[in-house]
Amino acid sequence: MFLQQLINGLTIGCVYALIALGYTMVYGILELINFAHGEVYMLGAYLGVIGFGLWQALAWGGGPTVTIIFLILFAAVLAALWGISIERFAYRPLRKAGRLSPLISALGISIVLQNFVMLSKGAREEVFPDLLAGKGIDIAGAHISPVQMMIFLTSILMMAGLTILVKKTRIGTAMRATAQDRVMAQLCGIDVNQVIALTFAIGSGLAGVAGVLVASHYQMINFYIGYQAGLKAFTAAVLGGIGNIPGAMLGGLILGLIEAFGAGYISSEYKDVYAFVILIVFLVFRPGGILGERVVEKV
Amino acid sequence: MKIQRIRRTMSALACSLALFIGCSGGNKGTIKIAAIAPLTGESAKMGEDISRAVQLAVDQWNEKGGVLGKKIELYAEDDRADPKDAVSVASKVISQGVVGVIGHYNSSCTIPASNLYNEAGIIMITPASTNPMVTDRGYPGVFRTCGRDDQQGKVEADFAAKVLKVKRVVILHDKTTYGQGLADEFKKNLPSDVEIGLYEGITRGDKDFSAILTRAKSVAPDLLMFGGLYGEGGLLTKQMRDLGLECKFLSGDGVYDPEYIRIAGAGAEGAYISYAPSAESIPSAMAFLKAYKARWPEVGPYSLFAYDAANILLSAISEVKTTDGLKVGAYIHHNRFGVASGTIEYDEKGDPLNSPYVMWQVSGGKLEQLDGLTPKAVSVETH
Repeated sequence: MFLQQLINGLTIGCVYALIALGYTMVYGILELINFAHGEVYMLGAYLGVIGFGLWQALAWGGGPTVTIIFLILFAAVLAALWGISIERFAYRPLRKAGRLSPLISALGISIVLQNFVMLSKGAREEVFPDLLAGKGIDIAGAHISPVQMMIFLTSILMMAGLTILVKKTRIGTAMRATAQDRVMAQLCGIDVNQVIALTFAIGSGLAGVAGVLVASHYQMINFYIGYQAGLKAFTAAVLGGIGNIPGAMLGGLILGLIEAFGAGYISSEYKDVYAFVILIVFLVFRPGGILGERVVEKV
Repeated sequence: MKIQRIRRTMSALACSLALFIGCSGGNKGTIKIAAIAPLTGESAKMGEDISRAVQLAVDQWNEKGGVLGKKIELYAEDDRADPKDAVSVASKVISQGVVGVIGHYNSSCTIPASNLYNEAGIIMITPASTNPMVTDRGYPGVFRTCGRDDQQGKVEADFAAKVLKVKRVVILHDKTTYGQGLADEFKKNLPSDVEIGLYEGITRGDKDFSAILTRAKSVAPDLLMFGGLYGEGGLLTKQMRDLGLECKFLSGDGVYDPEYIRIAGAGAEGAYISYAPSAESIPSAMAFLKAYKARWPEVGPYSLFAYDAANILLSAISEVKTTDGLKVGAYIHHNRFGVASGTIEYDEKGDPLNSPYVMWQVSGGKLEQLDGLTPKAVSVETH
């Protein structure tokens, strides 16, 4: 049972981590809590369904693995475009307006996106196709399904890719510079607007991927899944230290494990309570989060 | 300049508000009834089924000339399956002057909203809320066309103990009035030699139940009983099969819906669900089924109950020739109604005298009524 709960916790933790990255990257650069981020994740899940319809309509064939890779890329690219547009139209005009205005704008975008999906796709659940049906593997009484393996694999690849991008590339350097001092970065010839747009694109792309992963795991999505997932991912980002990329990954995994072990060994009735108690405890006693103080760089 | 613009906007807003107020004064010559159920959110499908069935009944009455010589006007409202919204929608329709309400869907919404209808002297007939509390409070104007969870829980417990002969069960519920209520009735009616391995609540709207199901698996039950609705029921079934928990699954009328099978997929095969007998098997329901299917593709689990509820309300109003809630309520209490699902007669609480629950089983991806409570030989497939 312990091993199984560990796997359960890591699966959901990976998803939290992917979404938390978007929160933390945007916060690192703009000091803005992008409350519309959960909705981008929800859009990603719907984009997965739309992508699957497209895939079938075009009859491209290919095995389930090819299909899922297509869906992930499709959702990532379109979610990234959504992210860029949200930044362009809802945040950029307010960039000099203090901290409260973009926050309210974010809440507004969140409501707009929820209702947009509700009106265009309907209020009912969409059932996501079961692409990776199969036996999975059993280790010492614990079961890992093919979808869970896919979630682990994709998340690890995404997080590794992001780390390399931020640490090793010119773009990453530009992002870190913008996070440290936007004005100075601009003076050094960095196109700050482009860097910010890119940050939104990457964060939203990751949320889109998380949407497809979750949709293929639970196979049921609706227009308000973004609300709860967004809150949980925000908790994960705070837990790890908001603005800190390894912190978001760590925070997501820890939160997933806390939920799984709490529900498994104590009581599932208070599953959400564990997450939000942790959030409050950290906000009160260690607002910097687990990794918040050790790492100076924000992105 | 900015202030001027704000002023202009404000005055435009005020004008449009005035227009709205101007509208609501009209329509004096109609009789208003409301159909209130969740039209958005996870139970949106059920709400749609209910409001469509009521719409059908109202349209049929209007074709015949309405009631008391007036046309019937239907207010289809959304309570979002949320008790808070249910109460505010209830006050809204009361202030709009409705004379009767068909709704709500969730017991947790029906109970608080019925307090308001009772105070306002309005009839409420719920087509779906099965919690005993709905009618146990002795309100004269509160009725239902569906059964009660104490009846349902007993049928389920008898089936589990006598037919399935289970020895150890896991009971999960969604912490709502309906879900927990049904789970409690099931638990209460189980014979003492059936061991309860685990009794726990889950959260509505949650998607991941692997943690609690892993715990359920560790007690090795013969049966997992769930009190709740089809969304969580479907996910639970799917995830328990994914985790390799191969025991039987049993749930109540909240799970009775094709959506449950769509969500649960192959894992739903063999699941048991308690629900009323099929409308297709009731001769008096044929006309309803034909009229409904001519307009909408699929008859939902509560469509017939909602249609009956609307017809009972409207025929009572036309018989007593008044919309006075107390008189209409008294009439409903003391008379028999020949409706699509058969004859409905009410006891002093407002429950139908006989509401038989039968067991259904998912077989070949479809819900099938079990005759004589004999389960079909279905091999449960896990992956």
